[in-house]
Amino acid sequence: MRNYYKYLLILPGVLFLTIFMLVPIGMTIISTFFPNEAAADTSNYASLFRDSYFLEILWTTLRVSILTTIICMVLGFPAAYFIARMSAKMKAVLLILTIFPLLTSPVVRSFSWMVIIGRNGLVNEALMGIGIIQEPLEILYTPTAVIIGLVHLFLPLTIITLVGVMESIESDLLTAAASLGASRIGVFAKVVLPLCVPGLVIGGILVFVGSFTAYTTPALLGGQQRVLSTLLYQNANTLNDWHMASILAAIMIVVTLIVITCMNLLANKLNPRR
Amino acid sequence: MSLFTLQDVTVAYQKQAILQDFNLSIGEGELVSLLGPSGCGKTTTLRLIAGFLQSKQGKFLFREKDYTKVPVNKRNFGFVFQNYALFPHMTVFDNVAFGLRQRKVSKASIKDRVLRVLDIVSLKGFEERFPAALSGGQKQRVAIARALVIEPDLLLFDEPLSNLDANLRVNMRVEIRRIQQELGITTVYVSHDQEECFSISDKVAIMNKGIIEQLSDPATIYRQPKTKFVADFIGFKNFIQFDSRRQESDGIAATVQGITLYVQQQDNTAGLVGAIRPDDLRLYALDAAPMTVENAVQGKVLISTYLGRSYQYEVQTSIGRFTVNDDAAAAPLANGQDIVLEIPKKQIVLVD
Repeated sequence: MRNYYKYLLILPGVLFLTIFMLVPIGMTIISTFFPNEAAADTSNYASLFRDSYFLEILWTTLRVSILTTIICMVLGFPAAYFIARMSAKMKAVLLILTIFPLLTSPVVRSFSWMVIIGRNGLVNEALMGIGIIQEPLEILYTPTAVIIGLVHLFLPLTIITLVGVMESIESDLLTAAASLGASRIGVFAKVVLPLCVPGLVIGGILVFVGSFTAYTTPALLGGQQRVLSTLLYQNANTLNDWHMASILAAIMIVVTLIVITCMNLLANKLNPRR
Repeated sequence: MSLFTLQDVTVAYQKQAILQDFNLSIGEGELVSLLGPSGCGKTTTLRLIAGFLQSKQGKFLFREKDYTKVPVNKRNFGFVFQNYALFPHMTVFDNVAFGLRQRKVSKASIKDRVLRVLDIVSLKGFEERFPAALSGGQKQRVAIARALVIEPDLLLFDEPLSNLDANLRVNMRVEIRRIQQELGITTVYVSHDQEECFSISDKVAIMNKGIIEQLSDPATIYRQPKTKFVADFIGFKNFIQFDSRRQESDGIAATVQGITLYVQQQDNTAGLVGAIRPDDLRLYALDAAPMTVENAVQGKVLISTYLGRSYQYEVQTSIGRFTVNDDAAAAPLANGQDIVLEIPKKQIVLVD
């Protein structure tokens, strides 16, 4: 009997999430199959997946999210490795610097990127000034601009997650591997990297889901280039097509769940433990 | 012939020298322990031999070749860590096979050698387990197997038993000694546990503040400590600072505050400090003392403590305070009682 009391502790959280998350999400998804409160109807989904405009946006969103995730991992990994091996004092300083960008809102940061990569922005002025290019580069209002903005947004998160995992790797494991004959590259590939997999997976999920659902950055830096979240917003607010908006929301939820499941399966394969 | 030699080595950490002009030489097939209090430099010495640390000065010669600059992964030394350092993401088999895979040994041969070494450490049947599913003793045996399987030229142990409970510690050290002797691998063993070191070693080096105070076989260290530090470290709790000593026909006569004590002949030291263990002193009540006691001084009992098997007394005499263990004690001595303390000639060791 006593054992049941501990479940009381999670009751408030479970109730809150059920009422304000699970139920609304469930209702949204269910409602997409009943456009006219009549019999179930999946023709909307079918026509959507034949619509090349939608498919192009879905593909762009996936591509931007995946590229953002990969770039964050590639840039974040060495930085995190460096930070994790610093002394405690230095580590604190570097971690504060890392999370510093999080203190400004995504809106402010998107506007500053406009100044930097715009037609007459810093980057184009500089490149033309030293004569590398004649015409200004079209970066702003392209998927590239969105990726730049999202990487800026999510890199701190990646680094913090990875530092946490790397700190928990005992340094003796690395010396042990070396004493058994492993070169620096061998130690990294056989010991460091596999032990970082949990961090890479958690960081990867955070960045992917964050990029996949981000609104502000693509809305401000993407220009005419829509992604799923801006398309959803357009349907709901501009076109007042709440049914289509719900369908888009349902698709985003399903894609997110599929990606999380795949990454977890991958993690178990790469890092078995027990 | 010595297998390896550390020559005038200096290691410093943040400008503080841990080892200064350090010398050590170990023979082929020997098990040598480095023993000392924490901070004496024993682990530093071991890590230097392993190649985890670089020395600022000095040379490390191995089989007459200069190994000073040879990196860790080219040394072929087996290292067993205090916290085992097993790879948590690999099975027991993969942990042990790690070194062989680095050496590009063929698959069939790897399997053969891993199973054979797991048999040596009595872990057959555990190949597919992950380290998380092993007890401390089993982890340590995997760590030993992992170091042995590469057929190392030198085996290094860094306090390998300190995380195990007392019973297991005794079993494991017997095991380590058995394996070491069976395979004849030269071994350097670091510990702060005196009993552990004495029981498994061919030679023990007692270290203090970055220098070796004495390097001998355990029995010699136990009977003939060279310095006051060594004597104190291995349980000579009583020290007498003599004023002078002179050679007599059958031994040494040492004088302190006008009282002369006779000491058995000792040729290897000119020291003026006499050391004696609490167990070797004899205590008599003043009125019950035999008439002809050699090396006797009078005194008083300060504190008596009951230790179960014996009584321990703190006594004050004219030549200083002594701690005495007395297991005879039919009638224990009371605090404040006048006593005669006998300091047996054969048990006094003169140290530097």
